[in-house]
Amino acid sequence: MNKMTAADIEETLIQEVAVILAVDSSTISSSTPLHTLGIDSFGFVELLVFIEKTFNLKLIESGLTKEDFQTIHLLASYISRMS
Amino acid sequence: MKRYLTGIDWIIHTINHINKKKIGAGNMFQIVLQMEGALDETTLRECLNKFIKKFPVLNGRSMRDYNLAPYWKIYSKEKILPPNIRIYHLDDNATFSKVISTLEQGINIPFKNVRKHLAFHLIYAGKTSFLAVVFDHCLFDARGAEVFLNMLQQEQKKKTDYSNKISLAESAHLCKWKEKFEAGKWVNRKLLQLSENKVRTLPLDTSSNKKIFKFKIISLDERQTSAIIKTAYNKAGYLMFMPYTLAISIQVLHSIFTKRGICTGDYIIPASIDTRPVEKVAQEVFFNHMSFFLLKVKANEADSFSVILQSIKQQIYDQIKADLPADIEKASLLMRIAPLPVLGCLMRLPLKGQIASFCFSYIGEAAYDSPMFMEKKIHNIFHMPRVPIPPGCGIFFNQFQGKLNVTFSYLDGMLEEDEIDSIVHTLQSGLGV
Repeated sequence: MNKMTAADIEETLIQEVAVILAVDSSTISSSTPLHTLGIDSFGFVELLVFIEKTFNLKLIESGLTKEDFQTIHLLASYISRMS
Repeated sequence: MKRYLTGIDWIIHTINHINKKKIGAGNMFQIVLQMEGALDETTLRECLNKFIKKFPVLNGRSMRDYNLAPYWKIYSKEKILPPNIRIYHLDDNATFSKVISTLEQGINIPFKNVRKHLAFHLIYAGKTSFLAVVFDHCLFDARGAEVFLNMLQQEQKKKTDYSNKISLAESAHLCKWKEKFEAGKWVNRKLLQLSENKVRTLPLDTSSNKKIFKFKIISLDERQTSAIIKTAYNKAGYLMFMPYTLAISIQVLHSIFTKRGICTGDYIIPASIDTRPVEKVAQEVFFNHMSFFLLKVKANEADSFSVILQSIKQQIYDQIKADLPADIEKASLLMRIAPLPVLGCLMRLPLKGQIASFCFSYIGEAAYDSPMFMEKKIHNIFHMPRVPIPPGCGIFFNQFQGKLNVTFSYLDGMLEEDEIDSIVHTLQSGLGV
């Protein structure tokens, strides 16, 4: 499988966040902090599980720093760097 | 009219049954609105009487259908019982602890009638008034009760009828048996893992059936709350506030267990979670819509905060990955066949007579989203839940408009005064306030 670009990863994450929040994906901005979107601890862990299943990256064991994880855009860049 | 009960509803009914049997009052919950100024008693009575008439579900009771599924019988609108509203006048300079002891009276009064599940207590204390809404957990969960109050406020303000937006539909769930038994297999395996060692618990004296619950509330302002969230994100990771507050709670109670010389067994904590998106909460106001993580902290891990934190994060991750909360929901549907006294015994079998070391929940921002209630500005909303017996104590976190509240709920007599002071003090220092 070809390596996904950061933009592809971002789009995949937007779709998943929309599923977790049960909203239309068009309402989700990749630059809005996840907590502002309404994601809580439970939703965030659901997203981390999705990332492991999709990108084979186990991020729960990383520091989960706000700088790398706060928005979908930052998270996609981080995944792109790590994969 | 009937509404079938889910497996989680039936578990809540069982806890209610056990609590009633052991200490005379059931598994009740109290939500308190702290308001600036005196809430008008006449307006409250008029609004409530009018509003409650639209919801016959409030005066229902559980029954069993011909297909053996338990359900909530909803009587006709003509048979609605008026809500109990008690008024208390405290001194103008009454302290917060005096208010709490008055609120403790309200939450400890059992419902006298099997069809009564809701009561209101209005406390006047100088320039502040407190409206306490006591409800039977069989009827609502905490978020549902907050949405109910929200509807009352919206209706009073906009004169809009919200009663037709509520869904009471629930199937009997008498299909997909293979799926339910499969889920039951996974839940059972999890319980076997948890029961490897004894559950660490505090002794409970339930010799008297008139025992009451007592409460300690720590209310923090917005500045303190954002500082705590910032620290939580640094120590536990972004959005890991719930594992952070649970790790603090475990350490706080661990110190009490250790001082008492209770050093054997593991900590078992069922952490309740609501998996629904916000708009679904507005439709599913009544009954219980939650599931649980079943978390365990080994005795030899409880001395280190970072080890507890890492362990909780990993367990939550693993349980979401394995879909355990959904399996608990499905498997609990099978348990509805058992009558309440039988299920009460069955629930205590896997953990050898215990259920948990203590109860915990982090509810997050309140579902009540208006800054006002009947023209009065709300200063705070806090929760006072009675706790299942066993374990008889619990720590609960909720937020209102960015302000964090921590409630410690305990059965009177299970802790000494110095232990209660120590719990409050270590909770505050653990949160850095």
